[in-house]
Amino acid sequence: MNAATKKDPLVPAWLRSSRMIAACSVIIGIVIWQLAYEGLARTPYFREYSINHFLASPWQVVQTFGELYRSGELFRHSYFSFLEFVYGFSLAIVVGIPIGFAMAIHRKTNYYLDPWVSCIYATPTVALAPIIMVWFGLGIFPNSLVVFLGAVFPILLNTYTGIKSVRENLVNVVRAFGGSPLQVFFKVMIPDATPAIITGLRLAVGRAVISVVVAELFGSEAGLGFMVYFYSQRFLPGPVFVGIVVLVAFGILSFLALEKLQGWLSPWYTYQLQRQIHRLETE
Amino acid sequence: MGFIKMEASASKLIVRNLRKSFRTQRSEESVQVFEGISFEVFPSEFISLVGPSGCGKTTFLRILDGLIPHDDGEILLDGKTVIKPGPDKGFVFQESSLLPWRTVLDNVILGLELQGIRGSESRKKAEWYIALVGLAGFEHHYPHELSGGMQQRVNLARALIVDPQVLLMDEPFASLDAQTREIMQAELLKMWNQTKKTVIFVTHQIEEAIFLSDRVVVFSARPARIREIVKVGIPRPRSLSVKRSKEFLDLADHVWDIIQEEVLKSMGREREEGVL
Repeated sequence: MNAATKKDPLVPAWLRSSRMIAACSVIIGIVIWQLAYEGLARTPYFREYSINHFLASPWQVVQTFGELYRSGELFRHSYFSFLEFVYGFSLAIVVGIPIGFAMAIHRKTNYYLDPWVSCIYATPTVALAPIIMVWFGLGIFPNSLVVFLGAVFPILLNTYTGIKSVRENLVNVVRAFGGSPLQVFFKVMIPDATPAIITGLRLAVGRAVISVVVAELFGSEAGLGFMVYFYSQRFLPGPVFVGIVVLVAFGILSFLALEKLQGWLSPWYTYQLQRQIHRLETE
Repeated sequence: MGFIKMEASASKLIVRNLRKSFRTQRSEESVQVFEGISFEVFPSEFISLVGPSGCGKTTFLRILDGLIPHDDGEILLDGKTVIKPGPDKGFVFQESSLLPWRTVLDNVILGLELQGIRGSESRKKAEWYIALVGLAGFEHHYPHELSGGMQQRVNLARALIVDPQVLLMDEPFASLDAQTREIMQAELLKMWNQTKKTVIFVTHQIEEAIFLSDRVVVFSARPARIREIVKVGIPRPRSLSVKRSKEFLDLADHVWDIIQEEVLKSMGREREEGVL
């Protein structure tokens, strides 16, 4: 069959793009959620016990969002959580990247630190959060510490792997032209390790957001995690879902921002990755 | 010492009694890579090194550059002992060794940049060498946007820009397809004619070695020694059709015979070792 006899597809091209499909998928999901709410609300069980104590419809979530926004409550909680995230994440970067570097470059440092890194990495942050509350009380500082513990290891370990897997032949190029060890470090090792380090940051974002919530569940006076906990105790699902939606949005946005940063700092890496994936798929 | 200086003015590069062994990781005993390698290279001469695979040609070339240390013997470039890599030697690597985060221009500039030379002068120089290798217009492309042959041209420009005394090339066309390789061989000869560099060219392709070189150094199997230095008397400039001349084919046959003999020898030894 040649191109001329081929029928025009029923769906126009702009509707078949990957973005449009993704958007449609989300909209369908929300519609199902709304229908499920309407359906459940009509069952005999929920006619007796009001469904509004268990589930909020998407529309109610939007309304609650507006209320919480106007009252300033949402901003207060978000700001509190955001500060915890920023402090903890920044500290994780400041500590994780240099230690990862040191462990990759200096063998003895690696011998000394490796058992500790392995142990603390294997420890669930959830288990450490309560004792940190006992030591430091409630507030932004102890919560940031929990965030730090959650985020530091992906950053540290990815920095380590990134430096360890710097390509030998590229190092040799700089050496062959008389480059000093310092030049090798700045002109090959750092640029070649950058994609791995940013991948570490992207993994750390997810863990940091979880840590924010965990820390606030154990004890806090504010924050989105606190808000979610507080309202679910009072059987008010509206604000609970608002809190979750804000957390999800924040997680996705920072993840995308880092993806952009990666594409901007190391455009060659995206290409390399695509080629590897292509090779795997064709094999 | 005065004698060495006089001698050096006649030869560009002198290799005397070079020996190298590696310590294997499993056992304490060391494996001899090569020993007693001696030869001289004249200014503007094109020399190829061939030998059975695994005979240590690449190791030898890296030692010439000073990238890895040798155990014994000496290397004199313009009468000076080679101890470390530097801008007096240009190295062209085997596979794609361009820095992927740098454009063609920035890759070519690298050699000057490492010496602390910057500014519009080095930029102009880079553009000149990029044009020399036939890539004018591709200055701002990234390596992944270039074909294998084009990448090796950049590789060559990068080595030439430091204006080295000797150009060391480690199987630069090995990963190219046959057609591209033939074109690159002819181009290399053209550039060599223009720049008059002394070239040491490692390859496993006998035809390539004979086509390009003034002399072909044939290595034996491990531990490598020089089996023979074959002089290629085919007049220059050579076109690709030279490859079908009788003189060329005879030379190729001769080199083939030596290498085949060496390969069989090393296979025999491996079999013996296997029995033990």
